[in-house]
Amino acid sequence: MADQPRTAPAARWVPWVLMAVVVAVALAVGSRPADDATEEDRVRAIASTVKCPACSGQSAATSDAPSATAIRAEITRRVRRGESDDEIRGYLAGRFDDILLTPTSSGAGGVVWALPVAAVVMAFAGLAFAFRRWQASSPTTASPADRDLVARARTGGSPADAHGEGDGR
Amino acid sequence: MNAAVGSAGVVLGFVSAAGGIVTIALGLLGGRRGMLRQIVPFVALVALGAVVAVAAMERGLITRDFSMAYVADHGSSKTPALYNVATLWSALEGSILLWALVLAGYLAAVTAKFRHRLDDPLVGWALLTMFAVCVFFFGLMLGPANPFHTVAVAPLDGPGPNPLLQNHPLMAVHPPMLYLGYVGFTVPFAFAVAALVTGRVGEGWLVETRRWTLFAWAFLSAGIVLGAWWSYEVLGWGGYWAWDPVENASFLPWLTGTAYLHSVMVQERRGMLRVWNLSLLCATFALTILGTFLTRSGVLDSVHSFSESAIGPLLLGFFALVVFVTVGLIGWRGDRLRAPGRIDSPRSREGSFLANNLLFAAFALVVLLGTVFPLVVEAVNGDRLTVGEPYFNRMTMPIGLALLFLMAVAPALPWRKASAETLAQRLQWPAWAGTGVLVLAVVLGARGVAPLLAFGLGGFAAGAAVRQIVLATRRQGWRGFMGRTNGGMIVHLGVVLIAVAFAASSSYDHQREAALDPGESVEVAGHTITYLGFEEDTSDPAKVERRARVRVDDDGVYEPTLQRFPNGSQEIGTPSVRSSLVDDVYLALLDPPASDGGPVRLRVIVAPLVMWLWIGGGVIVFGSALAAFPGSRRRGTEPTSALVAAGRDTSPVARRPGAARPDQERPERPERPENEPIGVG
Repeated sequence: MADQPRTAPAARWVPWVLMAVVVAVALAVGSRPADDATEEDRVRAIASTVKCPACSGQSAATSDAPSATAIRAEITRRVRRGESDDEIRGYLAGRFDDILLTPTSSGAGGVVWALPVAAVVMAFAGLAFAFRRWQASSPTTASPADRDLVARARTGGSPADAHGEGDGR
Repeated sequence: MNAAVGSAGVVLGFVSAAGGIVTIALGLLGGRRGMLRQIVPFVALVALGAVVAVAAMERGLITRDFSMAYVADHGSSKTPALYNVATLWSALEGSILLWALVLAGYLAAVTAKFRHRLDDPLVGWALLTMFAVCVFFFGLMLGPANPFHTVAVAPLDGPGPNPLLQNHPLMAVHPPMLYLGYVGFTVPFAFAVAALVTGRVGEGWLVETRRWTLFAWAFLSAGIVLGAWWSYEVLGWGGYWAWDPVENASFLPWLTGTAYLHSVMVQERRGMLRVWNLSLLCATFALTILGTFLTRSGVLDSVHSFSESAIGPLLLGFFALVVFVTVGLIGWRGDRLRAPGRIDSPRSREGSFLANNLLFAAFALVVLLGTVFPLVVEAVNGDRLTVGEPYFNRMTMPIGLALLFLMAVAPALPWRKASAETLAQRLQWPAWAGTGVLVLAVVLGARGVAPLLAFGLGGFAAGAAVRQIVLATRRQGWRGFMGRTNGGMIVHLGVVLIAVAFAASSSYDHQREAALDPGESVEVAGHTITYLGFEEDTSDPAKVERRARVRVDDDGVYEPTLQRFPNGSQEIGTPSVRSSLVDDVYLALLDPPASDGGPVRLRVIVAPLVMWLWIGGGVIVFGSALAAFPGSRRRGTEPTSALVAAGRDTSPVARRPGAARPDQERPERPERPENEPIGVG
């Protein structure tokens, strides 16, 4: 732990710059695709985005139903033929109705994608706005009632209504 | 006989709860405070009714009383004792019965806890709310979810519970845990309603219910993790979380409850976010009802939805009522809820809690939308829309990473405002811890930006939690583990373990399906799996088991099994897992040999770090227990008592000589130990 708050400002940031470099290098090395992914891993990755037609709510990757097995076999065939993931998914989507586990980005399905993103953006924008307003407003000053409350609390007496709970107690 | 006694218990519970409501209402509205003291017998009778009903049901199950419809439908003379007892919660009616029992237990506990303040209107309204919830659930059992129907001609035997529910002991503990969590949120909800009705929307009620919320949250967490473990050990597809609607239903209140446990600290410390906190509590309770509706009405397709019934409209109606009443109350009390304070800087503890809450709310929105939206679309225009696992994974991954980042930064942030220098200094070694984990992961061969970020940020967050615990124990000795802040850091460590294990096991698993002749081996991710032979076991009257004997590496024989229960038409597989701290080898038997000595078809999955999910769950529960212990006892309802106690120099901080040293922790330490902002009741 760094216990020297008195070091020169510039020197204090040196470890952080160093850390940023290390992190960037590690992520750059780590972002290369894994070299040990087998054909089966790829088939399963594709199958896990596709519904098993015969079962409810399961993906073709996890189901043992014959239709799921058939879909996996079809994916394996196409993987061996060298088709890309999207090509295979496109083929399946064309062959079966409503087979993909992800909703489409158009139509009603678009709401599921767009709404959370819009909500988060708006919430953080609202928060930023609130902070600006709080920053702009002058800090609240203590009223005589507040000072009275503090004085009584300090002398050990309990305030009658410390937290604005009303008189229901 | 059992059915008659059970029905009597349900009626007793219902009538006593209704009587409780009338008594409290008379006391509160008629101005006769004395009546409020008369509530104890009603509470006792509700609890008695629930206990009698559950005891009658268990007696029926244990004595195999097949004249009871529930026992005839779900019991069996061949079910082993443990699962026979657990049959209570294996179907709808019994689940509602368990719910009522837990609810009555909470009602009794709240009454006992506040026995000296029963004439306080706040407590009165809270009990009234709880009685109202009791009336609803006991009412369900008088109506569409009656567990004590009888059959005219008792069958000689029953089919037993769903086979998937009787082949793992976790089934005996997971549902009760989940219910203790689910139902536990009724208590803070009841106090929230009481605070709104009485207008005492200050901080008193928060302090009163902090422990209750934490208790419910810890059980819900444990229930969710145990549920994941159960599906991993039983369902045979090698996963533990599929964003299944039933899982989502339990996860939603967990998300809003977690958000509340954080934002409530802003209200205790700064008096702000009152509306938000009330909304979160009400949402949490409403989501437990909505979740029950989703899972128990058969409205969703799900591998877990074992039951369907006509209680859907009632649950949906109750959900609507809860939303309507709470929104109305919050609107009505809007003027009293306006926050007096302001947040000085986003770079502060309260600023980070705000961000945390936004992220948790967004998380809950994603899960809710993904679960409910297809239903809404189908109800509106009949279109079928599929929202599956890939959607949830893609949408929640950035939120999860952002939450890990906040977990790392927030514990180092002081209240009100932090300078960049303070922050840089406090975060330095947690950040190096994260960097170290990241580099280690890359060196070990982990690839992919998302999982690597999860590891790095996980290390960062764990570093921040450890730093806080180290500082606290240095100041306070063993007490540094106790209290909300420090216990909370242990919980954070558990969450980090789960996040890292989730990222690793879902990103780096390897799966093979192989047809193996006896003696043949297959290599999966560095493990040698050898098929030894096959056997059929008919010694157990409850089921026929067919097992493949499989050796994993050189350290043991594992037996993935297919089980057929006498009355279950479907043969279910039970996987066998070799677990270790590094990775799990998961074996599922897909096809038995067609002829003697023929090949079997096996599914082999090797996934790293899975065991740390369960360990993380244990750490979360342990940390919650520590967080429930106060550092020192104070009177909770009197905020000023905390100040007086600190002034008398009785706190462990002041007594330790080291505490006088002006260390870098000064700015974030107020007059009292920071782990106890306001005493607890």
